[in-house]
Amino acid sequence: MAEAAVSGLPVRGPSSAKSLLRAENVVKHFPAGLGATVHAVDGVSFEIREGETLGLVGESGCGKSTLARLVTQLIPVTSGKIFFGDVELTKLRGEKLRQHRRQLQMIFQDPFASLDPRMTVGDIVAEPLDNFGVMRGRKRNERVQELLKIVGLNPNFNNRYPHEFSGGQRQRIGIARALALNPRLVVCDEAISALDVSIQAQIVNLLEDLQREFKLTYLFIAHDLSVVRHISDRVMVMYLGKIVEIADSTATYSDPKHPYTKALLSAIPVPDPKIQRGRRLVELTGEIPSPIKPPTGCRFHTRCPIARLPTPCAEVEPPLEEKGRDHLAACHFSQDV
Amino acid sequence: MPSPILKVKDLQTQFLTHDGIVKAVDGVSFDLYPGESLGIVGESGSGKSITALSILRLVPDPGRVVSGKVLFHDKDLLQISDEEIREIRGRDIAMIFQDPQSSLNPVLRTGFQVDEAMLAHGKSKAEARSRTIELLNKVRIPAAASRYKDFPHQLSGGMRQRAMIAMGLANAPAILIADEPTTALDVTVQAQILELLTDLNRELGTAIVMITHNMGVVAGLCSRVIVMYAGQIVEQGPVDQIFENPQHPYTWSLLKSIPRVDALRHERLRSIEGIAPDLLHPPSGCRFHPRCPFRVEKCFTDEPLLQEVAPGQVAACWVTMERARKEMGADELVDIRPGAASGVHPGEII
Repeated sequence: MAEAAVSGLPVRGPSSAKSLLRAENVVKHFPAGLGATVHAVDGVSFEIREGETLGLVGESGCGKSTLARLVTQLIPVTSGKIFFGDVELTKLRGEKLRQHRRQLQMIFQDPFASLDPRMTVGDIVAEPLDNFGVMRGRKRNERVQELLKIVGLNPNFNNRYPHEFSGGQRQRIGIARALALNPRLVVCDEAISALDVSIQAQIVNLLEDLQREFKLTYLFIAHDLSVVRHISDRVMVMYLGKIVEIADSTATYSDPKHPYTKALLSAIPVPDPKIQRGRRLVELTGEIPSPIKPPTGCRFHTRCPIARLPTPCAEVEPPLEEKGRDHLAACHFSQDV
Repeated sequence: MPSPILKVKDLQTQFLTHDGIVKAVDGVSFDLYPGESLGIVGESGSGKSITALSILRLVPDPGRVVSGKVLFHDKDLLQISDEEIREIRGRDIAMIFQDPQSSLNPVLRTGFQVDEAMLAHGKSKAEARSRTIELLNKVRIPAAASRYKDFPHQLSGGMRQRAMIAMGLANAPAILIADEPTTALDVTVQAQILELLTDLNRELGTAIVMITHNMGVVAGLCSRVIVMYAGQIVEQGPVDQIFENPQHPYTWSLLKSIPRVDALRHERLRSIEGIAPDLLHPPSGCRFHPRCPFRVEKCFTDEPLLQEVAPGQVAACWVTMERARKEMGADELVDIRPGAASGVHPGEII
């Protein structure tokens, strides 16, 4: 904590850092009735590096929450592999998988739905400890109080119930629960989206502080690219079940290599009237196509402002490939973005 | 300056609950000028939506507008008969809501619902129908003539919000009140809707009241802004001025608490200590004082009134940011208070 406190900024994961989690060609299909299939996640490969925050953005239906649940193995993959360190999570079943989950925790979007209203805050935070039989009795209670303190709550609140807390405080309870087992990777799935602006800042700052103190690695998922850019070292953009770009968060903004990333950035209003009025919106035509019948070739071609049709964009799927230093994008014409 | 088309004076809206009276809107006054676009920003529970609903007398039970005036062309909307207010709703002042899904009737064709807005105000069926298609075109719904017959579930979220806007514009109202119209939408769709509203405001001269929690939305769309906190207006003025030189510590903190997508380097966000007050028992003095980094003794006991802090800009604060900058080092202030930022590093030096 001492050295982190001096720099005052979150530790930026160096690009040479070891990968903590690696996904290889991960696919998740859901049956949609009448023989149809939802292609929620359709062949994604990426890594999360030790100590970094990897941001994941995309609009509703792009598959980002499904990916979160795959990473934590709350749902099985249809195909592909997920490695945590050297262990292939997708091969593990039952008790073995459960033991590995200790290192993979999740913070959820809705602080109202993700806490059991009939459990005390103390029992909620201690549930992971109880589940794995790690601590009992006084030690357990001390740990609960310590966790509450870590997330900025009064440690004596352990006997209260969730309804006695505001949204932001509940989110802190969810964070305390996620930290109980000293995880290495924490997946934050829209963890601040339901909160008011002033409270969002509290939680973002808290997550940054915790990362420094406990050397956590985050997969931070949100639809708000400004928050994701703020908190992440690298940003991954998804569209209709595919990763379209991965780059460090500065390059994502200053030098996007995929037209969808560029459109997404241009759509986010900047809270500065003089700048905002001068910004040009990259207007996307039409709507997001259905993941039941995704477009051929590049999935973005139906809305892309620079697509060359029909060939290659509607026919050949662009691979996710290196377009710059540590910068991947899946576009045939990334030089024109 | 032209005279205002809508004058809200000392509006008080309260909710009578089991536990007591919640003063959701507590003495709100503002003017709306023809053709302008006015933003009302605030967090949940600040009273921004209830203010809008009070204007059209749509406050849900157990809420009551207990006092104040809403003058539209010198007619007090709070005093006129139910019949008269029904005439004004949708014809002179229209409103669109956050969730287009639940604001549209699922069993009626979308086009017909736009027709209805005009049929209610005396247009013939044929007139209404042809104008609906024109309106659907205007809000950029592709293939408007065939979309007319679609049911709401056949439209996407963005389309449904466009249909709602068409409905709002059906009778060419002087005022369109938009209550978080883009909050439920994806960012790319939000941007399209905001652009549409900006164009309509410019082309048709419809005055827009934009209720939102998003400062970016205000920056892009509005010319003036009202900032609300705990049922009251804390600051009001031209958008450029307020964003550049906010005088109320709440406005200042709010602007510093949001990350910007165009930020060049990572700066720690300024969070606002604590949580919004319980309006059953609002704090004494200035309602923001328990969370304010610049409070002085007076703030605990005396309620500040809105006072002019710059031409056209008013703020309700005993201190104001000008003094906080000069005397309290506001510009150098970094979030280090224990519990304020995160509660993790008391005594940390940044």
